[in-house]
Formats: sequence, C-alpha cells, structure tokens
Amino acid sequence: MHIEAQERDDVLLRRSAKGDEEAFTELYRRHQAPLFRFALRMSGNVWAAEEIVQDVFMILIREPKKFDPERGALRSFLYGITRNRVMKHLERAPRELLHEELVEDAIGQRGKAFEAMTPAEWAEVRERREQVRAAVLKLPVEFREAVVLCGLEELSYDEAARLLDCPVGTIRSRLHRGRALLLAKLEMLRDTPKRAGASR
Amino acid sequence: MTCEEFELAGLDLETMQEDDPVLNAAREHLRSCTRCAALHENWQTLRADLQAVGAETKEAKAPLRVEMRLRQEFRTRQKTVKARRAAVYAGWTLAAAAVVVAAVSWAHWRHEYGKGSTPSAVNSAQNVNMNKTTPAGPELGEAIVAANDAGEFTLLPGSFPGMLEDATVVRVQMQRGALSALGLTVNEERAADLIQVDLLVGDDGQPQALRLPQTTN
Repeated sequence: MHIEAQERDDVLLRRSAKGDEEAFTELYRRHQAPLFRFALRMSGNVWAAEEIVQDVFMILIREPKKFDPERGALRSFLYGITRNRVMKHLERAPRELLHEELVEDAIGQRGKAFEAMTPAEWAEVRERREQVRAAVLKLPVEFREAVVLCGLEELSYDEAARLLDCPVGTIRSRLHRGRALLLAKLEMLRDTPKRAGASR
Repeated sequence: MTCEEFELAGLDLETMQEDDPVLNAAREHLRSCTRCAALHENWQTLRADLQAVGAETKEAKAPLRVEMRLRQEFRTRQKTVKARRAAVYAGWTLAAAAVVVAAVSWAHWRHEYGKGSTPSAVNSAQNVNMNKTTPAGPELGEAIVAANDAGEFTLLPGSFPGMLEDATVVRVQMQRGALSALGLTVNEERAADLIQVDLLVGDDGQPQALRLPQTTN
C-alpha cells in the first residue's frame, strides 16, 4: 500500500492498528530518531536508549488505542512515553556516560572540522565536550529535560513545552536554572586545569 | 537595565530581534557592567558547548536492528490476532451449528413423539384390520368385526399373549350361557340373556380373548 509523505500520524496509526506494516514502519521512521536522541541524552546510555525506543513502539503495536488524537499530537504522546521510560531507567540504573563508540562515530563523521586541529587541541575539545556531557547528565531530571530539548535538540520553548506538556514559562525557568547549574559545574571544572596550567 | 534584569533576559539575547529594546538595553548594560559581561561570555561559551555536544549526536538514531525487531513483533502480533479472530469465528460458527442441530433434533423428536403418543396405547392387538368392520348392526349369532379400542380383552383359558398379534376383533351377539363353552364362569340365572361380545380371533380362527362392550354390562 502506498504511503503519502504527508500522511497524518493518526491516519497511519489507524492503518497500522488494522495490520498495515508499511504504515507502522513509516511511523517508526518518522519518530524514532528524535526519541532515540532524547533517550540517549537523558540516560547517557546507548543500550538503554535503544531499549526505550523499542518499548515505546511496542506500546504502539500492542495498544494503539492508547493514543487519543483529540488530546494532542502523536509526537507528544510518544515523547510522554519515552520520558516515563527514561525516568524508570534512571531510577533503577546508575548514570552512565555516553557510549564512547557512538561519540567516536559522530566525531569521525565530522572529521573535516577537526583536521586543522593539533592533537593537543583535539584532545582539549574532546575533554571539554566530555565534561559538558557529564555535567548535563548530572543535572536534576526536570532541568536536564529542558536543557536536552532546548540546548541540545535546539527546539523552541513552545515546542519543548508541548512535548513536556507544561507551560512555556516552566520551560524557561527550568532552562534558566539548568544553565546556571551547568555553568557552575563547568566553571568548577574549568578552574582546575587553569590552575594546573598556571602552576607550570 | 539592572544586573538582575539582565540575568533574566540574558538567556534569550541571541534569539532577540535586532530592533528589540530589551536587546539594546542589555548591550548598553554589558558595556558598563564587567560582571554581567563575564556572565554573558560564559553563557555564550556554554551555548556553543551545548550546540557542539548536541551536534555530536545530531544524526544519532536507533540501530536498524530495533526496526527489524519491531517489524517482526508487528508481524507476529498480526498473525496472533488473525489466528485469534479465526478461532473466535470458528467457535461462534460451531456454536451456531450446534444450536441449529439441537433445534432440528428437538423438532424432529417432537414430531416423532407426537406421532408416537397415539400408538402408545396400542396393545397386542394393534395390527387388527380395521377395514373389516361391518357397518350393519349385529343380529343373534351374526358376527361382526368390531372397532378395536383394545386393552380390555380377557385372555381365554389356554391362550397366550403372543398369539394375539395378528388377531381380528369380531363382535358377536350370543347367549351369556355360551360363554361357559369358552371356559368362563357364567351366572346361571342370567344364562339366557343375549349379550354382545367382542372376540379376538386368531389366525387359526379360534377365539383367543374376549371382552364385553360397555353396553352389555
């Protein structure tokens, strides 16, 4: 069965519920990447993110009627489930750093930007990013969500508010607090090598 | 603009329009306040850092194996659902068939039972040939074939129930005393009375049983 690129999510979901595999696949391909990134950036764990995305779409397979188009977009619905799964994961699992292989892959794809750097500069950039990632993962969950969506995924406040089902003002204040905490954390980290460099 | 106002608005400075009065006021404040200028620089650095970290995983997506697993699950689920539906349909069809069979059997049984209730009173003389009934009234010594309302015949001495199967009912008028010839006890005082007697006559022409119709009593 042919699927129009602009076919609405709820239409695809109805077809999927009736057994149309192509419609389900289209839905999956449309939404999996942002959900995976959100889960990955919130959990810092590739395997957990993979499992969370799989769980989310399993729900779509098993209980498609849980989604009510009257209450919002499918994207928000899927983000809601993803958030719940992430919370459960964070409750039972210790925080883990982003899987190195994935980061290596990502950096490898952007190799040209690093070509001009010396190995020392490159190592410094990597270390700095590692610090930022670690600092984000140590934020309280509600601030982390805001930072992940607005800072890393670069969504607007409105979009983030829709996905998290909360007022825009809440997003702004959480983002403000999150950035302040991040700055405090990174300033502390930055001071250490500076002082070490100065002593040399 | 005060430092507090700057802190509140500062996060959004990059997204503000050039002609936004808040942006102009913030820029003015930055020129005069070194603390806020340092804070703003830190924000910009953090913003760049976050964008860089975000860019590292910007293209990240779930591995293909997740899609494969989900599609497999989808197919399995559809098969299960179809099988379950088929089982439900088969169950209902069987139930409907059973109801139809039961209804037909019941109707058939009722029909048979209705027919069977009439011959239930048939006794050993049920095969009596009714066509031999003589419409004329009986006269003395004249034999007629009586209607068989069965069941009240008395076996004559020496007769066996099995011999009555193909017997014929014959109505005769006779003197009561003649019954003694058939081995029955007769009241001597009324021996000369004329009575009607139904005789059950066997294949051999011998009376096997008799009864006294009501009128003669």
